[in-house]
Amino acid sequence: MVFSSLTFLFGYLPLTLGAYFLTPLRWRNLTLLLVSLFFYGWGEPVYIGIMFLSILIDYTHGMLVERFRERRKIARWFVGQSVVFNLLLLGFFKYWDFLAANLSLLPGISVPQLGLPLPLGISFFTFQTMSYTIDVYRNDAPVQRNIVDFGAFVTLFPQLIAGPIVKYKSVAADLKKRSSTSESFAAGACRFTVGLTKKVLLANAAGSLWETCLEAHSNNALTIAGGWMGLFAFGFQIYFDFSGYSDMAIGMGQMLGFHFAENFDHPYLSTSVGEFWRRWHMSLTSWFREYLYFPLGGSRCGTARTLRNLLIVWLCTGFWHGASWNFVLWGLYFGLWLILERFVFRDLLLKTPVWLKRAYTIIVVFVGWGIFAIEDMSVCGQYLSVCFGGGPLWSAADGYHLRSSAVVLLLLILGSTTLAADLWKRLPERAAKVLTPILMFLGLTVCTAYLVDGSYNPFLYFRF
Amino acid sequence: MTKAYSRFLTAVFCVFLGGLLAWHLFLPDRERSETENRLLEQTPEFSWEALTNGKFTKAVEDYFADQFPLRDQWTGLKARTEQVLGQREFHNVYLCGDTLISKVAPPEGGQLEKNLSYVSRFAVAVDVPVYLGLIPSAAEIWKEKLPDGAESWNQQSFLKEAAEIDGIAGTIDFYTPLAAHQEEPIFYRTDHHWTSLGAFYGANAVFAELGSFPLLAKEDFTPEIASEDFQGTLYSTSGVHWLAPDVIEFWVPGNDLEVTTWRSGKAEDSELYVRSYLEQKDKYSAFLGGNQPLYVIRNGNGQGKLLLIRDSYSDSLAPFLATHFQEVHLIDPRHYRLSAAQYARENGIDAVAVLYSVPNFITDKNLVFLIQ
Repeated sequence: MVFSSLTFLFGYLPLTLGAYFLTPLRWRNLTLLLVSLFFYGWGEPVYIGIMFLSILIDYTHGMLVERFRERRKIARWFVGQSVVFNLLLLGFFKYWDFLAANLSLLPGISVPQLGLPLPLGISFFTFQTMSYTIDVYRNDAPVQRNIVDFGAFVTLFPQLIAGPIVKYKSVAADLKKRSSTSESFAAGACRFTVGLTKKVLLANAAGSLWETCLEAHSNNALTIAGGWMGLFAFGFQIYFDFSGYSDMAIGMGQMLGFHFAENFDHPYLSTSVGEFWRRWHMSLTSWFREYLYFPLGGSRCGTARTLRNLLIVWLCTGFWHGASWNFVLWGLYFGLWLILERFVFRDLLLKTPVWLKRAYTIIVVFVGWGIFAIEDMSVCGQYLSVCFGGGPLWSAADGYHLRSSAVVLLLLILGSTTLAADLWKRLPERAAKVLTPILMFLGLTVCTAYLVDGSYNPFLYFRF
Repeated sequence: MTKAYSRFLTAVFCVFLGGLLAWHLFLPDRERSETENRLLEQTPEFSWEALTNGKFTKAVEDYFADQFPLRDQWTGLKARTEQVLGQREFHNVYLCGDTLISKVAPPEGGQLEKNLSYVSRFAVAVDVPVYLGLIPSAAEIWKEKLPDGAESWNQQSFLKEAAEIDGIAGTIDFYTPLAAHQEEPIFYRTDHHWTSLGAFYGANAVFAELGSFPLLAKEDFTPEIASEDFQGTLYSTSGVHWLAPDVIEFWVPGNDLEVTTWRSGKAEDSELYVRSYLEQKDKYSAFLGGNQPLYVIRNGNGQGKLLLIRDSYSDSLAPFLATHFQEVHLIDPRHYRLSAAQYARENGIDAVAVLYSVPNFITDKNLVFLIQ
C-alpha cells in the first residue's frame, strides 16, 4: 500500500489513527506494532515472516550485546552477527539475482536466478536495525528490553518502506514516552498534505514528461533539447517523489508524536556536489558516514586511505540504490566528483561565483540522473550522447511538450527553492491562518481527484 | 498555533479522510459505470489462498477505487486541474478547442503488417472482388486542429502503403472526400466515430469505387435529430466533461428496409435504429444496435449484394449503402468467428469490402479470422 493510494488515504490511515488514539497511552506501541504489521503484510502477506524474524534477531542481539558489554570481544562478535544477518537478508533478496546473472557469465559457472519479489522497504529496515545493535554496542543508544517497543520501532509504518532511515537512538526517547498534542497533529497533517501534493500533482507530472522523452529516444526522435528536458524532468520527478514521501512520513510521525529527522534540504540549491549529498537523502548519507566511512578511518589516515574510503562508500551508496551495474556506475560517478572537488577543484571552487557553482552542481547531478534512470547502459550512453550534441537541436514535438508542461516545470523549479517557505513566513499571521485550512482542503481534494483518476501513479522509491 | 486553531486544522484533515471513508462505506455499491462503459469491481471474496498470493489485497484496492464516491466528478476535476496547469492531452485524447481528438499511437508488434497480409490472402481466397477501405480518423483529417507540435501517427502515408497490397480489387478512398469537407462536422466532437454527415461522404466514396451507382445528394435526405445530448467515448476517456454534447442525426429513414440481426446467434428481425440506446450513455449504438456478429439489411428496390467486413464505423455507414444495394451484409470479426469467404459463397455476395477505421485496423487482432 503506497501512501498516495485511495486505500491508504481513505481506509488504512483514518482507521489506524482512530485505533491509535482510542488506545490508552501505555498500549499505543502495541497498537502501532499491530497496524504496522498489517500495513507491511498488505502488499506481500508471506513476507511478514521476514519482519518477525528481523525483530526477533535484532532484539536478541541487542540484549546479548548489552549482557556482554564488559567483555568487548563477545559483544563485538554479537554485533558482527547482527550486521551479517541483516546484510545477508538484504543480499539474498535484493542482490541474489544480480550476482547469479553476473557469475553465470563466467565460463563453467551456472547459478540459478530465483526471481523473488523484493520485500518492501528491505533496504530501509535492514539499515535501521543494523544501526540499533551498533549503537547499543557503541553505547550511543540504550538497549530496548521491551520486544513490543522494539517491534514498533522496526515496523513503524510511516517510514517502513521508503525512509527516512530512522536511527534507533533518534527515536529511543519517543518510543518510551511521547506526547501527541493537537498542535503536533495539525502540524503533521499540514506536512503530510504538502508531501502528498508534491508526489501526486508534481512528481507524477514530471514523470510523464520523462516517459515522453524516453519514448522519443526509443523512437530515435530524441533531440538535444528533448534530452535535457527529460533529464530535468526525471531529476524533478525523483526529488518531488522521494521528498514528498519523506514529508508524508515525517508528517505522520508528527501526528503519532514522533520526531523524525529531516531527509532533504533543498538539494538543488547546492553549490557543490559535496553539498548536494549533505542535502539529498540526508538519512542515508549520514548512515553511511557514521557506520561505514568513519569506521574505515574517514579522512584522517592520509590521502591514499581517504581516496579508498571515499570510493568504497560511494560504491556502496550506488549499489544500495539497486542491483544493477548502472547504480554502481552512478555511485562511482559521484565518488569521482567528490574526490575531484576535494583534491583538485578545491581552490578553484572557492573563487567561483555562487551562480556558476550552482549551475555546475546541477549539471553534474542531472547527468547523474541519466545514469541512474536508464538501467540499460548502452541505452543510457546513447541518450547522454544525444544530450551532448549527438542529435538535432530541437523539434516541434519538444515545443508542444514544453508548452504543455510549462506551468508544472515552473512549479517544480520554484518548489525546489526556498521561495515558497520564505513567502509563507512573510505572510501576515492572520492571512496564513485563513489560508492554511483552505490550502489543505484544496490539496487533499485535488490529490483525491488525481488518485481516483489513477492514470499514472508509480512509486519510484519502491524498488529500493 | 493556538489549541483551538490546531484542533480546527486537525478536524479539517480528519473529517476529509474519515468523511469520505464513511461515505464510501454507506454508499450502495454500483454494478457498472455508464461513463466508463464497464462493470465495476464488487466486494472481493476472502480466502486464505487469495490472501497469501496477494490477489485478495489487490482486489480490495480495485474494489475501493471502483466504488469510490463521486467517481466521475473526481475524474472531471482532475481533467480541469490538468487544463489549468496547461495540459492539452488527457489520457491520449487531445483537447482542441471545443473538440476532443483521439491520439493515434504508432502501431506495435507488427499487427499492421499482419492485418494487411490477412486482407491480401482473404482477397485471393474469395471469388468475388474484395475492396479495402480504411477510414482515416479525426487525428488525420483534423490534424490542423491539434495543438502545435502534438504528435499523432501519420495515417496518410499508411493509406498510400495499404493501397499497394496484392490481391484486392481496389481501395476505397475515404481520405480525399473527408479531407475536402474537413470544415464540416464530419466527426463527433466527443466521440471517436464519424457523424452521419461523415458517413454520407463515406458512402459516396464506396459508391464511386464500386461502380455503377449514382452518387447520393444531400437534398435527398431530411435528417432527423435523434439526440442532442450525446457524450461519447472521448468524453469518458479524457475526463473532459465540460464540452457541449454532440447531436446524433438519422439520415436514412428505416421504414422500407428489412433488417435481420444475429445478435443472439440466430436470425431475428430488428430495426435500423435501436432507439432504446438513445436513452443510455452509449447512444452511438442506436445505429443498427451496436456490436453484433452478423447483420443484414435488405432493400427490395436495390441492386447487388455487398458484404462488409467492418468495425463500428460501418454502423452509421450501412444505412446509406442500403439505399442502393439490394442486400448489405455486415460481419464483425470481433464477434463472428466462422469463415467469411464461405459466407460470401453461400449468400451469393457480389462484392466484399473490408472497411475499418485506421486506428482499429492497425491494432485489431481479429482480422486473422478472415484467412480461415
